[in-house]
Amino acid sequence: MKIKKGFELQNVCGEYIIVPTGIENIDYSKIISLNETAAYLWEGCSKLDSFTIDTMVELLMREYEVEEEIAREDCEKIITRWVEMGLAEE
Amino acid sequence: MEKEYKKIKMENHAFMQDVAKRFKEGHSSVTFTVYGISMHPFLGSGRDKVVLIPPASPAVGQVVLAEVLPRRYALHRIIRIEGDTITMRGDGNPLRMTEQFTADKIVGTAEAFIRKGRYVSTNSRKWRCYSAIWQACNPIRRLLLIIYRRIILKIF
Repeated sequence: MKIKKGFELQNVCGEYIIVPTGIENIDYSKIISLNETAAYLWEGCSKLDSFTIDTMVELLMREYEVEEEIAREDCEKIITRWVEMGLAEE
Repeated sequence: MEKEYKKIKMENHAFMQDVAKRFKEGHSSVTFTVYGISMHPFLGSGRDKVVLIPPASPAVGQVVLAEVLPRRYALHRIIRIEGDTITMRGDGNPLRMTEQFTADKIVGTAEAFIRKGRYVSTNSRKWRCYSAIWQACNPIRRLLLIIYRRIILKIF
C-alpha cells in the first residue's frame, strides 16, 4: 500500500484535514478530516514508500495502548476507507 | 468508525487566514458554505456556498469577503467606491447598515455561488438580473425581506 501523491495533511484550527495540493479549487465544504489517531497513522504511513497492514498496526501500537487484534481490525477499516476515498492505493 | 459526514465550524479569523494561505500557495479558488442572513434572499445560511477567488480589482456590484473590523468578516456587495474607501452592504441588511474598508482588507472576490446545489457565476445573466432587480427594489427592501423571512422561508 501507499499513500497517493498530491495530498497533504494539515492542521487547521485544531482539525486535521487532508488538502489536495495539486488541484485548483479547495472545496472546504467537502474536505476530508481525520481524527488524531488517523492523522498520526497518515503521517507515519505517508513517510514510507509503501506500507502494509503490519506496518500500520506496529505504528498504532507504538503510540497507543491497544490489543493487537483490535489494532489490526481498526487498521483494516481505515485502509479500506482510505482506498475507497482515493487517498491510498495498492 | 466515526460518522461519514460532519460539520466542522471554524473560527472565522483562523479560517480566513487559511483561505489567504491557499491563495498564496497558488490555489485559484476556494469554496465554502456561508452562514448568516445578511445576503438574503439569494444566499441561505448553511445551505449555499460561495466560490471565492483572490482579490480582484474592486468594482461596484462585486460581492467580496472583507475584514470590516479587526477579526470581523463579511461577504457583501460593493455599493460604492470613493477614493480608497470601499462601501459594501449585505443584500439582506437594512439600507443604512453598511461597512467601509480599504482594498487591502479584501480576502477574496466572489466568482460564483452554489445556490441550492446550482452553480451561479457572478458573470451569469441570472446573477446580473437578480442583482439589478434587487437593487431596484431598495425602496421596499424592508418589506420584501419581511415577506421573505416570515412567510416564504417558513413555508418552503
